[in-house]
Amino acid sequence: MKSKNFLTALLILVVMFAFTASVNAGGKVYKLGMSLAITGPTSDAGNPYAKGTEDYFKFVNDTKMLGEDTIDCTIRDDQYKTDVTKRNFEEYLDNGIVMYLNYSTGSTLGLKRDFEEEEIAVLPASYHAGNLDGSNYIFLPIASYSDQLVNLAEYVAKHHKGAKAKVALFVHPSAFGRGPVSDVEKAVAAGLNIELIEVVEHGKDLDNTAMLKRLMSKNVQYVISQTIQSPVATMIKDSQRLGLTASSFGEAGKLTFMGAHYTGGNDLIALAGDAAENYFWITAFNITSVPGEGTTKQLALAKKYGRDQKAADSHNYAAGIMVAQVTTEAIKRTKAAGLEINKANLYNTLNKMNGANAYNPYTTTGPVNYSKTDRMGVDLLQIYSVQGGVFKAVGKPLESEYMKKIK
Amino acid sequence: MSANLWLATGNFFTTYKQEQRTFLTSLDRSVFTFFLVLLFGWPLVFELSNKYMLVVDNVLIAIVAVMGLNLVTGFAGLISIGHAAFVGIGAYTIASFCQTIGESHIIITHFWPVLIVFSGIVGAVFGAIVGLPALRLKHLYLAIATLSFQMIFEWTIQFMTFFNQGQTIYVGRVFWFTGKVGRSDHYLFWYFIILTIVILLGFGIRNLLKTRYGRCLVAVRDNDRAADAMGMNPGLTKVYAFALAGFFAGVAGALHAYVYRGVGFESFTLHESIGYLAMAIVGGLGTLNGSFWGPVAIKFLDLQVETLAEIAGQYMPSSMNLATALKPFTFGLVIVLFLMFEPRGIANWWRIIKSYTKLWPFRY
Repeated sequence: MKSKNFLTALLILVVMFAFTASVNAGGKVYKLGMSLAITGPTSDAGNPYAKGTEDYFKFVNDTKMLGEDTIDCTIRDDQYKTDVTKRNFEEYLDNGIVMYLNYSTGSTLGLKRDFEEEEIAVLPASYHAGNLDGSNYIFLPIASYSDQLVNLAEYVAKHHKGAKAKVALFVHPSAFGRGPVSDVEKAVAAGLNIELIEVVEHGKDLDNTAMLKRLMSKNVQYVISQTIQSPVATMIKDSQRLGLTASSFGEAGKLTFMGAHYTGGNDLIALAGDAAENYFWITAFNITSVPGEGTTKQLALAKKYGRDQKAADSHNYAAGIMVAQVTTEAIKRTKAAGLEINKANLYNTLNKMNGANAYNPYTTTGPVNYSKTDRMGVDLLQIYSVQGGVFKAVGKPLESEYMKKIK
Repeated sequence: MSANLWLATGNFFTTYKQEQRTFLTSLDRSVFTFFLVLLFGWPLVFELSNKYMLVVDNVLIAIVAVMGLNLVTGFAGLISIGHAAFVGIGAYTIASFCQTIGESHIIITHFWPVLIVFSGIVGAVFGAIVGLPALRLKHLYLAIATLSFQMIFEWTIQFMTFFNQGQTIYVGRVFWFTGKVGRSDHYLFWYFIILTIVILLGFGIRNLLKTRYGRCLVAVRDNDRAADAMGMNPGLTKVYAFALAGFFAGVAGALHAYVYRGVGFESFTLHESIGYLAMAIVGGLGTLNGSFWGPVAIKFLDLQVETLAEIAGQYMPSSMNLATALKPFTFGLVIVLFLMFEPRGIANWWRIIKSYTKLWPFRY
C-alpha cells in the first residue's frame, strides 16, 4: 500500500514537472548582458546598480510582465577594467544577447566601435556626452554630465546675488571628469552669467586646505564638482573644518558646494557627515528621502528581494532599476508591434521612444525621450540639497537652456 | 654522438656545438613539431567562442610580456615593477601613429608587422633609458627606480591630450592577404599571429641563452663583481637586459593594441605590472618555460575564480560581493603559496615530470 502511495505521489510530481516544463517552454527567453564594477574602483556605485537591474528583471519575470516570455540578463563583474568588459561583451554576443547594459565611461568609449559593428543598442551607466560622439547605438539613460554641470552653473547665475558669480570646477582627472569642462566654458562664452575662475583636477589628496585657501583668495564662491563622492567628501570636510562652508546658498565670503550625479547621494552624507549640509546635487533620479510613488515602488522592490536599507535607499539602485525598466519597455513595445525581439527591432523601438511615446519610469524625475538625433534619455534634472542630514528637493525639475544653445 | 639520433641513451658529445643543440634527440624535435602542429591546428578543428579566443590571445600576449620580464628579473636578476609601463610604451607607439595619421591609414592596417617590430624597438629604447639607473642601483632601490618610471608613464598618458588623456585611442582593422580581417575572424587571426611571435621570440631567448650575451645575464645575476673580474661588462649587461625586456614588452603592447583595437590607459597600470611579476614568479623565474606556465596559470585561475564567484552568487543572490573577497584572496594566496612551497614555480614541476619520463629510454 505504502509503495502504491509513493508511486502515485511520484507520478503526480512527474506530471507537475512536465506541466511546469511545458509552460516554461512556451515562452521565449530574451537574453541580455550587463557588465559593471561590482568589485574594484567605483563598486560603491556599481554594486547597488547591479542589484537594481537584477531585482527589476526578476520582478518582470515573477510578475509575468512579458506574459510567458522571460528576460535572462547575465550580470558580470568587470572590476572597472575595460579588458574584462570586452571579454564579458564578447561572451554575451556569443550567447546571443539582444541588448547590452554597460557601466563605466572608459569601457563605453573603449567598446564604442564594437557596438557600432554589432549594431546593438547599449545603455551605459556613464552619462559622458563623449559617449555619443561618432556613435549611433549608445543611449544615455539621463542627461549628460555636461548638461548637469551647465544646469548647476545656470542655477548659480540665476540665484546668485551681487556681481557676477565666481565659480571653480573640481573635476576627476579623466575623460569622465574633464568631459563637461569645455561645455561649461562654451556656455560661459555663449553668455552664461558666471565667471569661471579655475578648473581643479583633484588627485588623491587627503587634505584640500591649500586648494580651498587658494580658491578663497580668488574670491570663488561656488565649487561645482564632477567626480565621485570620496574626493568631494574630503573637500567639504576640510572646508567645514576651516569654516569656509556657506550655511545657505551663495552666502557671501563662503563656499557653496555643488555637484553632478556621481558626487551625491546617501554615500556622500555617510562619508562627509555634517559637512554635507547645504551641498547641492543634481541628478535625474527620484530619491527615497523625497518620498513619492516612484520611491515607494523602489523600496517595495528592494524589500521583495531582500535588499538591505542602504541598497534600497541608494540612487544607484534606482539607476540600475531604470535601465532595466527602459530595456523591458523596449521589449514590451517591440512585442506589442508584433515584431521579433532582436537587436535591430529593439534599436528602432528605442529611437521611437519620444513625444507621445516617451516612457515614464517611476525612478526618474522626467520622461525618457530617445530619437535618432537625441540619444539622451531623461532631460529633466532635479536639484537636491542636504537639509537636516538628508537630501531634499530644491524647486522643480529643470532643463538646461545653455546646452541647447551650445549644441 | 650516437648513431641513433632518436634516443638519448648512449649519446655523448664531442664538440661544444653538439651540446648546444636546441633539440638533443630527433625524438625531442618530433615531439616539439607535433606540439606546434597541435597548437596551430586545434582552432581549425575545435571552434572556440570569441570570448575564449580573446582569453587565449590575452594569455599569449602576456607570455610575450612575461618572457621579457623573465629576461630582466629572472635571468639578469634585476627587479622591475614597471613592466606594464613598457607594455604601454609599445601600445602607445601604435596609438601615436593612429593619432597622427589616422586609425585606418594604410600604415596601420597593412604594415602592422613593421609597426609591431617598431613598437618593440621603441620599447627597447625606453628600456635602455630606464635601465641606466641599474648602473648605480641594486635590489629594492632599482625596483623603486622602475616604479618611478611606471608613475611617470601613467602621469604622462593621463595628462597629455595627444594621448587622449588615457581614454581609448582606436586602432583600425588590419588587412591580410585575404583582405580585411573582419570581426568574426579577428581573434582567430591574431591567435595565429601572436602564436608565431611567441615561438620566434621563444627560440630567440633559447638561442640568446646559449651565447656569451645570455651567459653574461646569468653571471651578472649570480655575482656581478665576479662577472666583472672575468671580463664581462656588468653595466652594459644590465642596460641591455632592460632593453631586451623593453623590446618584448613593446611587442606585447603593440599586439594588445591590435587585438583590442584600441589603447586605453587602464591596461598598463601598476596593478598590471604586479600581475606580470606574479606570472613570472608562479611560472618560475629564470626559466624560459616558466614564462609560458605563469600567464596560463594566472589568467585561467582568474577566469575560474570568476566562474566560482558567479556560481556561489546564484545561491546567494544578495551577496554578489563574494567576488570582492575571492579574487584578490586567491591571487594573493597563490603567490604566497608558491613563494613558500615552490619558489622555483611551475617550471620546476615541468622539470620533475621531464626527469621522470627520462627514465625510459635510459639516458645513462
